[in-house]
Amino acid sequence: MPEPCLAIESLSKRFGGFYALNDLRMEVARGHIHALIGPNGAGKTTFFNLVTGVLAADRGQITFEGEIVADARPSRRTLRGIARTFQNIRLFPHLTVLQTVMIGEHCRSYPSMWKALASAVLQRPFGEAREEGRMRDNALDLLAFFGLADKCDAKATDLPYGDQRKLEMARALATQPRLLLLDEPAAGMNPHETHELDELITRVRDRGVTIVLVEHDMRLVMDISDRITVLNFGTKIADGSPEEIQRNPAVIEAYLGEDVPL
Amino acid sequence: MFDGLIDGYTQSILIFTGISVIAAYSFFAPFKTGQVSLGQAGFMAVGGYASAVLTQKFGLPFAAALPVAGLIAGVVGVVVGFPALRIKGIYLLLLTLGFGEIISVIALSWDYVGGAQGYRNIPFNPRTLDYVIGIVIVLVIFFGRLERSSLGRAMDSIHQDETAAEVMGIDVVRIKLLAFGLGAMIAGIAGALYAHQATYVDSTTFNIMLAVEILTFVVVGGGSTYWGPLVGAAVLSYLPEFLRALREWLELLPVAATNFFPMNRVYDFLHGFLDFENAKRLIVYGIILILMMIVRPDGLLTRDTIPRLPFARWKARHA
Repeated sequence: MPEPCLAIESLSKRFGGFYALNDLRMEVARGHIHALIGPNGAGKTTFFNLVTGVLAADRGQITFEGEIVADARPSRRTLRGIARTFQNIRLFPHLTVLQTVMIGEHCRSYPSMWKALASAVLQRPFGEAREEGRMRDNALDLLAFFGLADKCDAKATDLPYGDQRKLEMARALATQPRLLLLDEPAAGMNPHETHELDELITRVRDRGVTIVLVEHDMRLVMDISDRITVLNFGTKIADGSPEEIQRNPAVIEAYLGEDVPL
Repeated sequence: MFDGLIDGYTQSILIFTGISVIAAYSFFAPFKTGQVSLGQAGFMAVGGYASAVLTQKFGLPFAAALPVAGLIAGVVGVVVGFPALRIKGIYLLLLTLGFGEIISVIALSWDYVGGAQGYRNIPFNPRTLDYVIGIVIVLVIFFGRLERSSLGRAMDSIHQDETAAEVMGIDVVRIKLLAFGLGAMIAGIAGALYAHQATYVDSTTFNIMLAVEILTFVVVGGGSTYWGPLVGAAVLSYLPEFLRALREWLELLPVAATNFFPMNRVYDFLHGFLDFENAKRLIVYGIILILMMIVRPDGLLTRDTIPRLPFARWKARHA
């Protein structure tokens, strides 16, 4: 079996007496779209926070591309190639759409802060750093990919809800990740937009990005996932292909319900 | 450089306005990453005392002492900045406030720097105005370039959502520390310039009132664009002088007019509040701060007003 993109060993996180995640084991294969589903409060977003380093795990080990991830700070993990979007959209309110994407590029263009400072000081008068033009071209490419190129001068938070979700994905992709964690990308989207999202996520995967997807829209999940892990109260209750999950009695009882409208 | 052109009085006004502008930029640097510091007066004290000691006790020329004093203040800034990284908002305000008080107590009790008597006979620098003008120009160019750069954008993103910036790979810790240290260094330079102009500093020279004043400069001018500190500090420092000139102009009006409507007395009253050496002007600053919060909470200049100014429109047309 080839080395997995992400391997999780007995990961646990407790908030007071409540186990948000309890002894989770799972593997995400390279190049897969791996869905993580379960009722609210099952620990899906906590899982994202632990993998990206926003929260520290109480126990357990995260292995990304064969290396143990131990960096405390999220930015280091982003540099390694793990990016995410947020369930409650977190865009920068005073930046334009284009600038938002260029924030994602910053860590690749300027891995060293001193280089960034030097480039800020040494630009030509009333001009911009040479790197800036290259960053803008990349950002425009990404925005075109998400169909947002014509809105690049709008304020990020002025966009319609569905576009804001896409912009979050574009910003995350600008960090050139090899693993992308999507936290409910379809929330608040209309059926048409959700349909578009199907294709977008698949195309992102085809660019060589492994995807972990948290989503409540079961049609989307069943359509595009290669593998599904089901959580309930912080524990894994099932793991398998979409067909297996739909037939799994434990999952039907905990989450899907008897009549799955598929 | 300006000896023949400007009289001494105007020079001293320009110098203190310029030092205010530099101090305002020292507040602006950490503020760009969302850090609100009430410790800038403390860093000015570090720079002022350091430069006084270097010139008077070690015989360094002012031109050499100035950058060294700035560096010392910057290093102190990075040291203070480390614990400041973990806290935000009101707690950061309290930490930096505490730092300022510590510095002032050290200045009061350390006899090597004059203790309670203050530091006397600091060598006077006859060319302060040249230095001030030069440094203000350098700062405006620097912060202008920063605003157009990727690093400046990263700082803005930290200001707006620190967690999101960190998750997007921005090295929040180092950039915040850089901004804080940079601000401390600029404050140190402002303090050194002040010390060698006034030739005397003591533990109350760089007090909490000064720290609040520096904050007011940026709040009034606008903290979201690099022109804000310049405009805020210049307007507020120059306001009393403007009123004084207006008063002199009013003297020229016919007596009957001023008796009928005692405008000059209104100006006398206002001017009494805004005088340079007058603590009462803090009352006016307080009122200005409250009014600004109500009318224009983002300051006179914001990132949205800049492109609408006539010069920016002209530049955009001819670009």
